[in-house]
Amino acid sequence: MNQMETEVLIIGGGVLGAAVARELSRYRVDVLLVEKEADFGWGSTKTNMCIVCQGGDALEFRPEYHRSKLVWDSMPLMEPLCQELDVPFRKVGELALIRNNEELNKFQKLKSKAEKLGLKGHQFIDQDTLRQMEPNITRDAIGALHDPHIAIVDPVRLTIALIENAGQNGVNIMRETEVLNIFQKSNQFEVETNRGLMKCRFIVNAAGISVEKIARMVNSDDFVLYPIRGYVGILDKNLGDLIKHEIHMRPDAPGQMNILTPSVHGNLFFGTTMQPAKRGDCSTTEKIAEIGLKNVRKIIPDLSEREIIHSFAGFLMFRNWEVGWHECVVQASRRVPRFISICIGYPGVSAAPATAKEVVTLLRREGLRLEQNPAFNPIRKAPPAFTHLSEERQKELIAQDSRYGHVVCRCETVTEGEVIEAIRRGANTLDGIKFRTRAGMGRCQGGFCTPRVVNILARELGLSEKMITKKGRGSRLLLFQSKELLEGSI
Amino acid sequence: MKLTDIDVAVIGSGPAGMAAAIRAKEEGAEQVLILERQEQLGGLLHQCVHNGFGLCYFKQDLTGPEYSHRFVEKINDLGIQVLLRTMVTHLSPDRQITAVNDREGILRFKPKSVVLAMGCRERSRGQLNVPGTRPAGIFTAGTAQRFVNVEGWIPGKKVVILGSGDIGMIMARRLTLEGAEVRAVVEILPYVGGLTRNEVQCLHDFHIPLLLEHTVTEIHGQERLEAVTLAKVDKDKTPIRGTQQRVECDTLLLSVGLIPENELSRMAGVRLDPLTGGPVVNQWRETNVPGIFAGGNVLHVHDMVDDVSWEAEIAGTSAARFTKKETMGKENIIVKGGRNIRYVVPQAITAQQDVTLYARVKEKEENVSLKVGSIFSKSLKVVKPGEMLKIDLTQNQLRQMVENALELSIEHIKRRQDG
Repeated sequence: MNQMETEVLIIGGGVLGAAVARELSRYRVDVLLVEKEADFGWGSTKTNMCIVCQGGDALEFRPEYHRSKLVWDSMPLMEPLCQELDVPFRKVGELALIRNNEELNKFQKLKSKAEKLGLKGHQFIDQDTLRQMEPNITRDAIGALHDPHIAIVDPVRLTIALIENAGQNGVNIMRETEVLNIFQKSNQFEVETNRGLMKCRFIVNAAGISVEKIARMVNSDDFVLYPIRGYVGILDKNLGDLIKHEIHMRPDAPGQMNILTPSVHGNLFFGTTMQPAKRGDCSTTEKIAEIGLKNVRKIIPDLSEREIIHSFAGFLMFRNWEVGWHECVVQASRRVPRFISICIGYPGVSAAPATAKEVVTLLRREGLRLEQNPAFNPIRKAPPAFTHLSEERQKELIAQDSRYGHVVCRCETVTEGEVIEAIRRGANTLDGIKFRTRAGMGRCQGGFCTPRVVNILARELGLSEKMITKKGRGSRLLLFQSKELLEGSI
Repeated sequence: MKLTDIDVAVIGSGPAGMAAAIRAKEEGAEQVLILERQEQLGGLLHQCVHNGFGLCYFKQDLTGPEYSHRFVEKINDLGIQVLLRTMVTHLSPDRQITAVNDREGILRFKPKSVVLAMGCRERSRGQLNVPGTRPAGIFTAGTAQRFVNVEGWIPGKKVVILGSGDIGMIMARRLTLEGAEVRAVVEILPYVGGLTRNEVQCLHDFHIPLLLEHTVTEIHGQERLEAVTLAKVDKDKTPIRGTQQRVECDTLLLSVGLIPENELSRMAGVRLDPLTGGPVVNQWRETNVPGIFAGGNVLHVHDMVDDVSWEAEIAGTSAARFTKKETMGKENIIVKGGRNIRYVVPQAITAQQDVTLYARVKEKEENVSLKVGSIFSKSLKVVKPGEMLKIDLTQNQLRQMVENALELSIEHIKRRQDG
């Protein structure tokens, strides 16, 4: 496998790359998607608040931005897409809290702006109604602007579903495949990877925070992005019923967001505290965590920090950060033909469906010939999630395969059968199992299930447990066998 | 097995569950059933290959598996029923249990009484909110203990341990014996979190550096852990600037506290005490939900397994008596923590019987007096959070009470002034 040829090469298996792959699988065309990580959606897709928005908060309904259009065009596409792909999607609605007249004015303007754009359904809610809708939130709010369209998804599951469906429909997929260099030949690209050389005619650069790095490989650096690191905290599921809607509070500092939102799996997410940071440095800092907690306490005043089970940081990529929340990159290179770069930055998940369609249009414009794929099947079935099934279905499943009766993750009630199914579908790391099944995502954060999952991974992959990694490459979990460290000394 | 006739169902088979089940059976409950999610009885005992178990209960120095074995034998002899690899997924307020395993599938039944004995879990990195990257090589001490003692794998060779709970100190010694270098045990408090006996036998005897009033302020490494930054902390536990040092390591173990595991208790509507993290109980280890009892680490985190077993026996006895519709008595005295007392269990008692109170202090203090209202007092050389206080009160003492509330407190001993 050291020389491959394809018509279209997609670089990056995040939600955007995956959406493009799936969109292209509607046509009869040779497509290869490469992802440098061990599984899909591990960049900005993973570090996400999981909200499908319509551009009201940070974008403030600015039609002058291309990004807004992509978000609005995606809105009607997202729910049917999630249905086709069997991915959890839930409309929760947003309550943007109003604490004073200044904020009221601001939201009145936003509301009329939205209406002018044809975005319907926004409604002002008075204090009493707000209390009924959300009895646990701050008493500082005198009302709220309700946006019924806001929904929540699981972006990593969506990405995996897109990849699986693209695969079903003929797209070739390679993981742990990193693009090292790109050479422009007369009518094709030669792409050097850690897995050998790949030839292609078209490139879709969806490399997330590496999007400029890839563009520079063909000297097509006609955009500059500013990486902003955002911090998100996750609360214990016990607090899952604290709020019903996504709660948005106008930030007290510019460039921040203050959101508390339900997630499809029951935990609440809060964030996003943002700060400029070195690209790719997803470390959390004490200060940013402190601000995050301070902010969420403006929404839930007496929230105990003990309820935070996990936190993470991720990147939002902005063009021209200094002048505000600006534009995204969805464009064919001006200098290099057949080379398309995409990076939404925020909100990437919400904009993915329309972005994928637009990339197809751009590819056509660049000369890609696309014929309908008559065999295209839009339906993908999710693997069973034991804990969410009806008891009847649970019984059936155990009868078919008794391993669905063996619970390996106590916090999230994940069974051995689910772990095995995830491995069958491509998971080969501890984090892969975590994002696909939720084993290790609960309040004990893998304390109980880690040895069990490592065990199953080793058995199913036919490897020694010593070779099992957290997230691929050099992230092995168990470095030595018993007594191995003593061998030299005896 | 007929699940329709179960008298007492015990959830969990660690030292608490096994002791409760045995005692329930001995007290006359006919059908006693243990539900255990692991492959064998004993809970976490089988991964505790060190000694120090049973010194009080059996007057012998046993390992975890040896301690467990004594109970397992008795369970077999008494004909107590056991369901292994069985996870209880739901418990309702009317005691209906839903469980799942790979033989019977979904099980649903309603025993006459239930003993909660789910034990506790370790606090994780997320709960500590340690800043930095997310590499491989960070484990809770108990997870590492399972890997080393049960699975036969050593996580790494240069180890830092954050927190000085008992499992952390025991793992410091265990990994040293396995040839790893434990570079430091780092404790944010000015004294260790676990037992003094473990500090001496696991750290000092093996010359493992113990850094008190220190913490980990950052984690480094993208794929595998490469180093941690340590810093000294001030009295408010805030890292002191300029004291940071980078320590190269491939493994970080966390031993920073245990949390009673009460998800099922919550589902059943059992009232929890925010101070212990476990159910509020009276001296019969009865919760607010009729027929649901609790004992061991699910109730509050103990230091010694012996106390876990003893306490769970109370719950087992009560559960058996409940099935026979015997009345326990009426608790009429509320027990509260006063000065320098973090919690007391049980939270309510009666004056009609002898009782043992378990309590934990908030801070270490020397030369103090432990007071229980006006009915009991005892001087103590030292009290510290890592060592539980156990106070036996007799009926006679309790009858001296005039109020219906009892406060435990730690007071300074007033020294007689010279002259």
